[in-house]
Amino acid sequence: MSALRITVNGREHVLSAPPETTLLALLREHLGLTGAKLGCDVGDCGACTVLVDGQAVNACLMLAAQADGRSVLTIEGLATPDGLHPLQEAFERHAALQCGFCGPGAILSAKALLDANPAPTGAEIRDALAGNLCRCTGYTKMITAVHAAAQALRGAGAEMPPLGLTASPSIPLPGGEKGGGLS
Amino acid sequence: MRRRGRGIACMWYPIGFTVSANPSAATVKVNEDGTATLLTGTVETGQGSLTVLGQIAAEALGIATEDVHVVSADTDATPMDTGAIASRTTYVTGNAVKLAGERARAILFEAAAPMLGVKPEQLEARDRKIQVRGFPQRSVAIGEAARHALVGKGEPPIGTASFNPPTVAMDPETGQGKPFATYVYATQIAEVEVDDETGEVEVLRIVAAHDCGTPINPMLVEGQVEGGIAMGIGFALQEEILFDDDGRQINPNLTNYIMPTSLDMPEIEVDIVPSHDPTGPFGAKGVGEPTSVPTAAAIANAIYDAVGVRLTALPMTAERVLAAIKAKRAAQPQQLR
Repeated sequence: MSALRITVNGREHVLSAPPETTLLALLREHLGLTGAKLGCDVGDCGACTVLVDGQAVNACLMLAAQADGRSVLTIEGLATPDGLHPLQEAFERHAALQCGFCGPGAILSAKALLDANPAPTGAEIRDALAGNLCRCTGYTKMITAVHAAAQALRGAGAEMPPLGLTASPSIPLPGGEKGGGLS
Repeated sequence: MRRRGRGIACMWYPIGFTVSANPSAATVKVNEDGTATLLTGTVETGQGSLTVLGQIAAEALGIATEDVHVVSADTDATPMDTGAIASRTTYVTGNAVKLAGERARAILFEAAAPMLGVKPEQLEARDRKIQVRGFPQRSVAIGEAARHALVGKGEPPIGTASFNPPTVAMDPETGQGKPFATYVYATQIAEVEVDDETGEVEVLRIVAAHDCGTPINPMLVEGQVEGGIAMGIGFALQEEILFDDDGRQINPNLTNYIMPTSLDMPEIEVDIVPSHDPTGPFGAKGVGEPTSVPTAAAIANAIYDAVGVRLTALPMTAERVLAAIKAKRAAQPQQLR
């Protein structure tokens, strides 16, 4: 068993899990957070996408132990008691999801994009969503929704840093290449 | 060299099947607070059918969509529905919902008529009220009418109805009949670029004009068309189930069964053609499956326009397109460039 200390949606968990446990299994089966979906289980479909230290990862390909000491955001942690996140609002308003199975992953991929790039082009949005397969929508309304959410977030002002400052985030990659302070 | 071409394809498509009975049923009950509850057996799979059916019930009762609580897909509580298949829900289930709403409304009219001192035929349901046609200031709130129907007249405002599309069996001698109650029509135009050295096809733009009757919810119609086009692009260029000699699928996962991603999607322009079908609920027909019917044909025609080769097998992968280009050049060496 591996001893883990993981912050999930702002709350720290100290737990132990068998070493082969994936981050996705930890979230869904141990913590009961079923927003991240088990789709292909081999990293093709993106339905399991969560943010680890701000970066979008396929939770089915990451071991829970690799998330030790890191901060994980799932779709359950995106809305606040005050309301939905602007991305969730925009996805709803533009009917960007149909069956919705890809939704938690697509929305978190979009969040990782907007955190790093508050004013993305259409090509940048398509690129950010390329790892999230959707069989229903044709992606068109998703792309529109991400544009709308980016605009809403920029309009909200204070909490978003000005364009450019976050272009090269000093976030440690899950693989550890940049793993500065957190390893 | 990348060569550009345009292709067009048209289709018609029948709404609902008729090889056997194809009924839907619905119950609409109007509550004393002016809201309504709709019971339907149909299944929401993300296409937005419960939104559309709620809109139809609301329109029949003159209330807002958010006033309608939809209870669906629970055969303990809801009427049976033939299913979310055959692009039938808006037309077949929608007609059942409209009829059920109108039956509940007729009970409200009977209750409201003596309250307003007119005959039921003089009433209409609008803006959450039952009002005298032409004299909207003479009205009662719909909840008040519902309460009076229930406790005053002893007839709760509940309507139940079913709809089975009317058809005419085919005459075996003439081949004439009416196999489907209604049809939808569409034209899609594809603009592509084909690399004549690699055979790779990129779809740049698709314009899709669809006659789906009167769209109950245009945004959801667009969503169906865009999704259908994505499936059509996969069908045209990427998706193929491959088998080995023993019949086992050799590409059973999304690494090698390739489907469109956000990067494969072209610019899409959806044109909802103004139309009204008098047999549909408030003029509506349907839109689901037809959206992916003409896409691959339009792309095939665009490839022909771009590089002059006629592909007759799908998907039109780079290998197949390049093979066709090479075969054409071999057959016409004098035209090599």
